[in-house]
Amino acid sequence: MFALCDCNNFYASAERLFRPELQGKPIVVLSNNDGCVIARSEEAKACGIRMGDPEFLVRDLIKKFQINVFSSNYVLYGDMSERVMHQLGRWFPRLDVYSIDEAFGWLGGINNLNSYVPKIRTAVVQNTGIPVSIGVAPTKTLAKLANKLAKKYNGVLVLDTDEKIASAVKDFPVHDLWGVGRQYYKKFEALKIETVAQLREMPEMWFKQNMTIMGQRMYSELWGRPSIPLDEIREATKGITVSRSFRNYIESPEILSEALTLYASRLAEKLRAQGLRCMYLQVFLYTNKNREDHPQHFPSHTHKLLIASNSTTDLVSIAVKVAQKLFKYGIKYRKAGVIATGLIPESELQLNIFSDHDGGKKDTVSAVLDKLNLAYGRGTLRMATEGFEKKWRLKHEYLSKGYTTRWSDIIKVI
Amino acid sequence: MIRTFENRAEQKISGFQSPAADYLEGRLDIASTLVVDPHSTFYFQMKGGALSSIGIHDGDILIIDRSLNPEHGAIVIAFVNGNFTCRIYQIASKVPVLKNDNDVIFQTEINTLQVWGVVTSICRNVLPKSLKTGKYRHVCAL
Repeated sequence: MFALCDCNNFYASAERLFRPELQGKPIVVLSNNDGCVIARSEEAKACGIRMGDPEFLVRDLIKKFQINVFSSNYVLYGDMSERVMHQLGRWFPRLDVYSIDEAFGWLGGINNLNSYVPKIRTAVVQNTGIPVSIGVAPTKTLAKLANKLAKKYNGVLVLDTDEKIASAVKDFPVHDLWGVGRQYYKKFEALKIETVAQLREMPEMWFKQNMTIMGQRMYSELWGRPSIPLDEIREATKGITVSRSFRNYIESPEILSEALTLYASRLAEKLRAQGLRCMYLQVFLYTNKNREDHPQHFPSHTHKLLIASNSTTDLVSIAVKVAQKLFKYGIKYRKAGVIATGLIPESELQLNIFSDHDGGKKDTVSAVLDKLNLAYGRGTLRMATEGFEKKWRLKHEYLSKGYTTRWSDIIKVI
Repeated sequence: MIRTFENRAEQKISGFQSPAADYLEGRLDIASTLVVDPHSTFYFQMKGGALSSIGIHDGDILIIDRSLNPEHGAIVIAFVNGNFTCRIYQIASKVPVLKNDNDVIFQTEINTLQVWGVVTSICRNVLPKSLKTGKYRHVCAL
């Protein structure tokens, strides 16, 4: 049996844990740069706020219903996610963390699931303070479906018999089914297939012909035959990106360099954390395409490194150099980013016969950088080109504190 | 601050092998006795003297474990009247109450006592002011 565990309205729940007075009150969390809504509490959903709504469009609703607004505090969410996943890991023989707030667990060899699974939920909710829902079924697709329904059943739904599965799929809308995108939904719509029960009744051949291998898998999964294995080890990533919008437009090359220094540093950190080096570094700039009165410019350049690297100094100097070449005066840039591709594991580094490789020295510098920044907080030690004023820095007016990651931010009690 | 003792000073001088090399154990680290489970542990800080009668003073760092259920006599973090507070949890004639030096709150007064977690221990810097300088400024003092 598979389980899908999912944190309910994760970002909003994490914020609420440290602000209990917001229990029962609407909360929304905004994306980077306070752009659009990326998480809502149940109460905020009821106020008519939709996922992805731009902040300026819902400003009236926020005022009207006195919705509590938060900027995304990824430091907090990251720590809370790690806590939840660790707690879950103690209950499942195997766990595949699927996203920041979701994990598939394998429950092979465990009997009496109907008493075991509620225990998992109780423990996780108590120990972390984050509400979770758990759906259990013979396949991942059905577990995902059970999870969506679980919210109605105290957060736990175990589909361990054919009857229970049949009644769960009976009214379940196909567009909420895992793996159904717009393309497939159109096909279903044309055939007037609205519920998963109806879909399941289609002949297997139809799935094969209309939905390729994915369809065949879906068919088996819906009938309780596991066809999607638990991926404990994620496929190697093909590219890693760090990109942000700026608070204000950037019109000077110096300030652009500051921003790219930070992004490239962050990228190098990410690469090192995953034990990878990159062969190519792509740098791109965007203007605001919604402003038709502004001249538009979307330059991008991919630089090939002589030797694959993950050192902060290397990536920063390349990113800054490339950005300077891309930059044009008189253009208002809105967003920039760096993408590392051609990723190879650190251990498989190939040297170039003509280059004077001082990788050892740089590796030491990077290691010291990582250690200090882990111990004293991100950004303690950084490249000077990052600047101090950071006028371009993201907008996060409603940022909550690092309650679990910074001593200066822990909550004072009376 | 995160401290890791992953690297012990190893003898790098050739020819000399520490006679203790085969007997190394991890050095004591206070975190291992204060924190039972880091994944359910949180930290708060006491402000004011509402619990000075039981020796919890202004500025003390409180270590909270959410996995524990409150029982009679436990010191807990509870949410009272819109504030996080540190209180003593007691059962008075079968009714849970939250006490501090100033007042007593009965569960019957508010629908449910919102207990956030149980305080397992407290940490305090006991240095005199003259020694609380340099890197010792932040020992248990935020």
